[in-house]
Parts: sequence; C-alpha cells; structure tokens
Amino acid sequence: MTPDPITLRQSAEDQAARLPALLARAEQLAGAVLLGDHGRRRAGTGDDFWQYRPAQAGDSRRMIDHRRSARGDTQFVREREWQIAQSVMLWCDQGASMRFNSTDALPTKAERARVLTLALAILLVRGGERVGLTGTRLPPRRGRMQVVRLAQMLSEDSADDYSPPEHRAMIPHAQALFASDFMGDIADVQLALTKAADRGVRGVLMHVLDPSEEAFPFRGRTIFESVGGTLRHETLKANDLRDRYLERLAARKAELQRLCALTGWHYGVHHTDSSAQSALLWLYRAMDRSVMVRG
Amino acid sequence: MTILGGIGFTAPWLLVALAALPILWLILRAVPPAPIRRRFPGVALLLGLTDADAVSDRTPWWLMLLRMLAVALVILGLSGPVMNPQTERARESGPLLVVLDGTWAGAAHWPQMIETLQGELNRAAADDRTVAVLQLTRPEAPAFQAANTWSTRLAGFQPEPWQPDSAQIDTAVELIAQSGASSALWMGDSLAYDGQDRVLAALETLGPVSVVQSGQNTLGMTPATYADGAVQLSALRAAAGPARAVTVLAQGRDPAGNPTTLATAQAEFADGATEAQTELALPAELRARITRFEIQGGRSAGALTLTDDSLRRREVALIAGRTDREGLELLSPLHYLQQALAPTADLLDGALDDVLPANPDVIVLADVATMTDDESAKLADWVEEGGLLLRFAGPHVAASDISRDAIDPLMPVRLRSGGRSVGGAMSWGEPKSLAPFRDSSPFFGLNIPDDVRVSAQVMAQPGPDLAEAVIADLSDGTPLVTRKRMGQGQVVLFHVTANAEWSTLPLSGLFVEMLERLAVSSATTAPEAADLQGTVWQPEQVMDGYGVLRDAGTLPGIEGPTLVDAPLGPQMLPGIYASEDRFLARNVLTADAVLTPATWPARIPVTGFRSAPPEALGGLLMGLALLLLALDVVASLALSGRLGPTRGAVAALALLMMMPQGADAQDDDIQRAIEATSEVVLAHVLTGNADVDEIAQAGLRGLSDTLYFRTSVEPALPMGVNLETDDLAFFPLLYWPITPDQPRPSAEAYARLNDYLRSGGLILFDTRDANVAGFGTASPNGRKLQDLAAPLDIPALEPVPSDHVLTRTFYLLQDFPGRYTSRDVWVEASPPGAEQVEGMPFRNLNDGVTPVVIGGNDWAGAWAVDASGNPMLPVGRGFGGERQRELAYRFGVNLVMHVLTGNYKSDQVHVPALLDRLGQ
Repeated sequence: MTPDPITLRQSAEDQAARLPALLARAEQLAGAVLLGDHGRRRAGTGDDFWQYRPAQAGDSRRMIDHRRSARGDTQFVREREWQIAQSVMLWCDQGASMRFNSTDALPTKAERARVLTLALAILLVRGGERVGLTGTRLPPRRGRMQVVRLAQMLSEDSADDYSPPEHRAMIPHAQALFASDFMGDIADVQLALTKAADRGVRGVLMHVLDPSEEAFPFRGRTIFESVGGTLRHETLKANDLRDRYLERLAARKAELQRLCALTGWHYGVHHTDSSAQSALLWLYRAMDRSVMVRG
Repeated sequence: MTILGGIGFTAPWLLVALAALPILWLILRAVPPAPIRRRFPGVALLLGLTDADAVSDRTPWWLMLLRMLAVALVILGLSGPVMNPQTERARESGPLLVVLDGTWAGAAHWPQMIETLQGELNRAAADDRTVAVLQLTRPEAPAFQAANTWSTRLAGFQPEPWQPDSAQIDTAVELIAQSGASSALWMGDSLAYDGQDRVLAALETLGPVSVVQSGQNTLGMTPATYADGAVQLSALRAAAGPARAVTVLAQGRDPAGNPTTLATAQAEFADGATEAQTELALPAELRARITRFEIQGGRSAGALTLTDDSLRRREVALIAGRTDREGLELLSPLHYLQQALAPTADLLDGALDDVLPANPDVIVLADVATMTDDESAKLADWVEEGGLLLRFAGPHVAASDISRDAIDPLMPVRLRSGGRSVGGAMSWGEPKSLAPFRDSSPFFGLNIPDDVRVSAQVMAQPGPDLAEAVIADLSDGTPLVTRKRMGQGQVVLFHVTANAEWSTLPLSGLFVEMLERLAVSSATTAPEAADLQGTVWQPEQVMDGYGVLRDAGTLPGIEGPTLVDAPLGPQMLPGIYASEDRFLARNVLTADAVLTPATWPARIPVTGFRSAPPEALGGLLMGLALLLLALDVVASLALSGRLGPTRGAVAALALLMMMPQGADAQDDDIQRAIEATSEVVLAHVLTGNADVDEIAQAGLRGLSDTLYFRTSVEPALPMGVNLETDDLAFFPLLYWPITPDQPRPSAEAYARLNDYLRSGGLILFDTRDANVAGFGTASPNGRKLQDLAAPLDIPALEPVPSDHVLTRTFYLLQDFPGRYTSRDVWVEASPPGAEQVEGMPFRNLNDGVTPVVIGGNDWAGAWAVDASGNPMLPVGRGFGGERQRELAYRFGVNLVMHVLTGNYKSDQVHVPALLDRLGQ
C-alpha cells in the first residue's frame, strides 16, 4: 500500500518536529557533563603536548625541541600524546515495548533511552570519536551532522513488539552501546553479544525499565497486553503473579549480567523515574572504562 | 392494605422478594469482577504463568452489603410503604353540631385543630351529613349547611383572648337546645371554665357527644411584678406533671426601635407543681424597654403578659433651691419627695446641667426661682420633648420676680408677688382645706383626707386662662396645683412647698397618690378598682387570641374600675390602656389565676387531634437505593483500580466545586490590614507611574531603616496605597509624590482622604521639582498639586516657621532638604493668637498635628535605598551631598516623630533641655 502523500508528509513533519526536541534534550543532558581528558595517556601522534624526553639515538634531528634543549646541555625531544579516534556503535531499541510509561508523569522508556543514547553520542562526538548505529544504515562518522542524522534515525519507531538487537556490520574492536528493556527473546541478545565479542567489540548494555515493571503493582482480574498487542496474558489474581514475575525479571537480569561478564561488557539498569543525568554519567564512565580496559 | 409495625404496605406480596436476597448474595459473590485490560511490556515474562487457584478475587463483603441494601430498599420501596395508614370507620348520619371552645388556650394548636376539624368535615361530607359550627366564645345561631360549605369557612374561626362567660354560656345552651342536631362534636381547648358542664348537658340531650382536644398542657403567665430589685415572673400550667423548664422571653425594642428579645429567663416547674417562679434582674433602662414577657413557643394570649407602668421605674431628678442648710433633714425641701418617690422611682441627684443629659422622665424643682438663660433653654427643650417639670413653690419663689409680669416659659401661670399666709399667728382666717377635684382634673376620684390643711401658698394672678390651668384648688377657690402643656411635655406647679412648712399635704397619702396620677411615680402593685375611680382609660393596643397586639383604633374608652374588675370579653379586650401619661396593661391571666385542665365524664369519648396524614415512603426508599447504587459505582471503580489518584482528585475537585467558595479577596484584604497594623507602616500613594512609585517605595524603605536604626520607631516594610480601594486608616503618614499625569481620585476616595486628614493622618505632598512648592503656577507638578488638593479639607497654610515643632521633634533642624534644598515647605498655619513669650525660644503652639506638609524637595529620592541599603540616587556633590542626604533623613525622622508624638516637643517642659542644646 502506497502511503497517502498527505499522511506521509504529516508524519514526516511530526517526526521532524520531534527531532529538534530530542536533540535539544540530548544536548542539554550532554552539556552538563564536563569532558575529562580523553587522551590515550601515552605518547603518540596527536596535537597535545605529552612530555619531553632526552633525545635518544635514532631520533632524527628534526625531532629535537630546541627551545627546551637550549636551556641546558641535554637535548630533548618533544613528544605528543597519542590521540586516536574510536568508533562507537549505538543501538537503541525502537520496539513497541519501549513506548510504555506507567504514569503520565514519567517519560516512556523509548524517550529515555533515545535521549541517553543521543546525549552519549553528542559527548563522544565532542570528544572526537566517530559514532554510528549498528547495522548498515548509519556507519560511524564524526562531526555535528552525524548527530543530526543519529537523532533522525533514533526517532523512528519500529512496529515490532520486541525488536532484537541489531548486530550486523559491527566494526572490529569498536565500542558499542545497546539500550533496551530486553524483554524480548534472550537468545537474540546472546547472539548479538557473542558476535560482538567475536569481533572484539566491547561496550555497555543499558537495561531501561519502567518502575511499574520492577514493582508489578497490579491486583485483581487483569488481562495484560503487550504494547503492540501481539501478546496477552489473562490472570484472575494479578497480585498472586507478582512474586513469580519478579523472580523471572531477576533471572533475566542475572542472565544479562552473566552474558556481559562473559563477553567483557558492562551492564547497567536504569529506571525511567530516576535521573537521566546520573544515568548519562554512568554511561559515559562505563564507555570510558571499556576503552581503558581495552587500551 | 397490610400494616406491619405501624407502616402500611400497598403491595405486601412484593416483600417476599426479600427472601431472595441471600441467593442473590451467593450468586453475586461467585461472579468475578470484570477484568481490567492493561498495557504491560513485561507480559513477555508472564507468559506461561498460571494462577495458583482458579477462583478470582471475590467482591469484598462490604460492597456486597451495599448492593444487598440497595436491592432490599428497592424491594421495600416497590411494595408501597405508607406511614400513618388510615383505618376505616363506620358511617354516621343526621345533622352534626360542632362546638368550638375558641379560647386563647387553643391558639397554640389552632392550625392542628382546624386540620382535624377539616378531616371531620370531610367525613361528614362523605356521610352526607349537614353540619353547624358554634364557637362558645362568640355564640351565634348555628346554621346547618353542607359540610363542604363549612370547609371553606373554617379559616374565619379564630381563637378569642377570653373564655366564655356566663352570658355566653347561657346563649350557647339556648342555641344548642334549638339546633336539633343528632350528634355533637366538641373541639375543646383542654382547659376548664365555668359552665362547661352546662354546655355538655345541653349537648347530651341532643345525642351522642364526642370530644376532641389536643390534650397538651396549657401554659400561662401571670402579670409580671417588680420586687426586690428584680422582675418577678410566674408561669402556670394546667396539669401538674413531671419537672419541666420553660424559657421566658422578655420582648421589647432595641435602641434602634426594632422589636427584639432583650433577655431570657428559665422557669422550672417542679415535679407535680403547676406554678414556676423566676426572676429577672435588669438595668432600669432595659427594663423600661420591655413590652411583654412570653413563654417561648407559647403562641397564645395567655402565655404572655404585657407590661405597664408597674415595671417602669421613672427617673426623677430632684433639684432644690437651697442646699446650704446642712443637717436639717426634715426641713429639706426634698425630704418628703424622696420618701414618697424612693420606693417607686429611680432618683437622680445633681446639678441641672448634669442630670439633663441623662434625660430623666421627671425633673422636680423644689423652690427654685432663678435659672440661667442657658439652663432655662435646655430645660424648655427637654420639656418640649416630653419631660415632666414638677415645680414647688417656697420662700424663694414667693420672693422672686419669676413669672410676675408675663408667664415664665417654665411656669404654668403668672404669680402674684409675695404669696399669702392664712391661719398663722399674724393672720386672720383658718388654714384652708382642699376643694373636691373637678372631673377634668387628673386627680378626679381621689379621696381628700380631712386633715390636709394649707397655711401658705403663692397666688396665681387671676386671668381669663387661669381656670383651665388649675387642676386642684383650695376650698376658697385659689389654685393649689396648676398645669401647662408644653410640646409633648408639661409643667406642673404646686403652689405650696414640697415640705411641711406651708401645708400638711406632703404628710398625707394624697400627696403620693397625686404624684402617681401625675405619673411622677408609678405603682409597683396592680391598682385596685378604688384607686382608679373616676379615670377613663383609652385602649392603645389590644391583643387577639394568639397574643398578637394590634392598634386599638376607635375602640371606646373604659372606666378605671371596670378595667380592673370586669371579666374579659368582646367589650373588655386584653391589651394596653392609657390614661394621661399612665399606662395600664390588662392581661388574659390575673395574678391569682389558676389553670385547670378540662375533665370529662367517662361516658364521653375523648380523642386527640388527628396525627400526621398518611405519607408514602416509596419515593424516599427508592431515592436511598439510588444513592447507594451511586456509591456502589464509586466503590467498584475504586476497587478495580479505575479510580486512579488523578481521577480521584477530579472527583474530589468536583465535590469541592459544590462547596461555597471562600472569599479570597476578603482574605487578602484582612491579611493586608493585619500587616499594616501589626507594626508602624509608612505608606505612599500609588501614582501609576512605575518609576515614581518605585522611588517612593525605596525612599520610605530607606526612611524606615533609618528610623529603625536611630529611634525606637521600628517600622515594617512600607506599602503602596491605592486611594480608590485601600483603607487609609492604618497608616500614620502618607507620602504623595505628584506627577503631572496621575489620575484624579474619585469622590469617594476624596471623602476617605478627608476622613483621614480629620482623624489625625498626615499627608506629605512632594512636587519633586524643587521650586514651586509655594503653589507655583509655573510647573506642571505644582498645577497638578493644586488640582489634586482642591477638594481636600486642608487648613490655612504657612511656610514652616522657625519655631515649628517639626524643627525639634527629634533632631534640631532649620532646613528640610531632600534631593533639592528649598526653604518653601508649607504646613498648617499657627493660630493667629500665638504670641512669643519673652525669653522663650518658641511660641506656645499646643495645637494638633499639621494634616499636610507640602514641599518640592523630592525627599523620597534622597531617602531611596536599594535592597542592599545603598543610596539609589545621587544627592548634591561629594561630602556636601552626603550631608544633605543626612539632613533629608533627619527631616524624615522629625516628620515621623511629629506624626507619632504630636506636639509633645512643643511642651514647655522641654524648654530647659532645648535651651541648653540650642546654646542660649
């Protein structure tokens, strides 16, 4: 079915209208994080001064820093810090299950995940990294335009209830962020992580949950439906299910944690009722750590 | 109709459905509540989980109970419940004679009685009987007519404020004998009276008699008396019963003349007693305003008692001409008056000027000959307004020229000089006795004791109009008492002394009775018939059976003895009667009245009034059921979680919407008033120019801070005042910066401003233009000031004189600079008579605070500080400028001190200290 041009235009404008808002929120979030030094902390090619070291045999004369050397008898070579751009690949769950909030006061999980993802992307771009999406749609690039493109891609919704992590076309030895509620099939996550680990990709799993998903505050006869409407479950006493549901959720988290431990990823849980700022900080540190671990 | 427990059911078989309720209970409990659909991403984790037991949550028992109750109410409502169901009765036939007592005792239950009678008439109409109605208190020939015809005439029957007397009973018995009715119905008032048995006998000759009466205890009040400094009240009841308290209300008029309840008292009937006593101690002024006492809820002429002069203690001022003869009690001109009046009147002592403002009822001048013109004028005014001036002659009057050539306004007749003395050692003749009083005299009917002798008197000048002024004369025809009406009041002159010097009159009982007749004193006990011999009393207001007073209109006057003795009847209505200035109340019950309940022989069936008419309860029950169902909706929603917090809030909000809204604006006003009055608050007039208002606010803030630091005045934050809406009375000082474009206040605002100025407020006008404070026509601000101040009540002004108190209230100042220095600061002009005393640094000007200070020095600009206390605007240059700012602050301090302490520093007591500081 060809979409009606007017409807298409309408939805396109809706999307476009949402884009700056997402971008602005993400920028605002990112602006609150002061970038620490993101250098490799070793001498190498780069712009920033790293250290002076006495000239050794084999150093070409052109490398001698005469300004420093003139102060004494020893000849010094000026070394620069090794700076290299990393590729970071992002995947933010676009599935219908993410478009859920238990009360109107809270953002949906999708909103929160997108904002966090994009804010991280902005931080990374500012740090000079290349950022892109997993899969083939948006390979990692650097620059401000990439952020806009990212925002555009992240704003798209997927019709699936639970979408599996995108694991194709991952660049070896890059870093990755997977943000999702991980309510779908765990096998997909396992596949994606193993594949990433095979290619030497390290990263962070961001488990975004709504507080009601942690608390399960339901009572009485209830029919639970997934947001997309594909799954449903009826119970006569919802409060009876609570303990078993929480067990399953804990098991799901434990499984994710185990997978992360195996593959060298970081695992974090974020609830939509807690501050996005602290989540972003944690995310940024975790990204940094995964770099350090590798470095 | 089936009757269960006093409630009838039109469809009793429906009640069987109540048995189905337990079954319904079981069924309802078994059915689970409808499921809720919830979006929940975590459903993926739920898949495969099964419920532990297949039974869902049961509906809670209280909700079930609610529903059961609603269903039960519906069933009950449908079964047609009726309260007070009617039962059938046998048919009767033949003419029916209805006899009404129609006395005051039935007034309290009259509507119920009429309603019951209506029911009886309806039944008679249903039985096709003719009916006649006979009211015993107004016996008229009974006319037998269709019952429906009588129904329309029932409203015409009203209770009468008397009980049938023997003549009326005779008439009634005769009419009953002639009526030819076959049965009789007697609507009684539950109170016995003479001749009741005769009427009953007459009725029984006709046929069966049945009696309907309220059966309630009749209450009554006997006339109030005054004894031991309190009003003694006594309530009666017909039948002795258990202990009971009744409330007696003292009704009267408040100072504004509106009828109100002035006091209440509780009277307790002891167990088995038929009489309850209570007393009410009230100030004389309040007591005089009471018009009647009534038993609360009595609603009959018997349950109230009207008051008359016996409760009213008149205020009598006694003034004697001679006050220099101390110790001669029995010769004091006032001694006998005091003795005669003290039991029945409140006596005032003092000079004429002191007692006149108290507005006494009577002023007695004993041998007072001369008064100042002012006193005479005031006294004449007082008499014109209804006062009674009672004068006694004496040596002073006889010796003076008062009323000699022309009638003195305060004398009833012209007097001949010297007076005369008869029967003394140096004169011929015998002392004279009194002639019988003429029938036009207020004393007519009083007995004249034989031993009253007059040996000296002042003589009235004979004249054509003397005769009508005389109200008592001696046996030789010379006047003893003369009287003149003046406006609403009168002047009475006794031609003898008030003591026993000239006559023995003050020693006799006649003297007291004459004072009584003149309404100088009032009897505290009910008058005897003999006391009122010869008087005619005009009815002022008469009472109907309900105890409602109405104007007597053209009812004829009644002779005094008749008024006391005659039984009440159509010719002798209870009410207020007046004669001359005296008032007498005739009440339904006399002091010795006893209420006896009516007793009927055992053969006569006696019933009470019909109880309430049948009332269908179905609608009420259905309504209740509906309410319960509505509750059930809310409860069900809440239970299933559909009534979330937001929706709950909406519901609560909807509930709140129905409640009356609080008056926020009023609260704001009150809040503002509290803020303005809990501390001293300086205020400025809002001009509408934001810059000027801001500077004014900041200026007053700076001044307030200065006052706080330097003086014991600790002002709160200053306020802006909108002249149109805000109350000015809270502020001691109003700073009014003038801008050319500010709106002119409304007339009401000007009225408030003038009130403010007159009640001690001070307005500091500031044209802020440095040069035209002297009402210059040059600057726009000056012209605006002229325009604004024109309607204000501003006195004559002058530039601040060098000895004005403003120059020394706190600091010693000679200049009053603001941002500008100009000498032209104007205040209220000092009084023209103020002279400087030699050696004093300033004049003695102990007048009020000047209501306005007018200048153009832009003081607020000099005072203005910002939030951190730094000056906002520059003043002058360098150190000199700062000095000028300091002087501006000093002027502000002086001004506020002047406002708050007035001319305290103008007091000469400060002179030495000030001289010292001034270095003189």
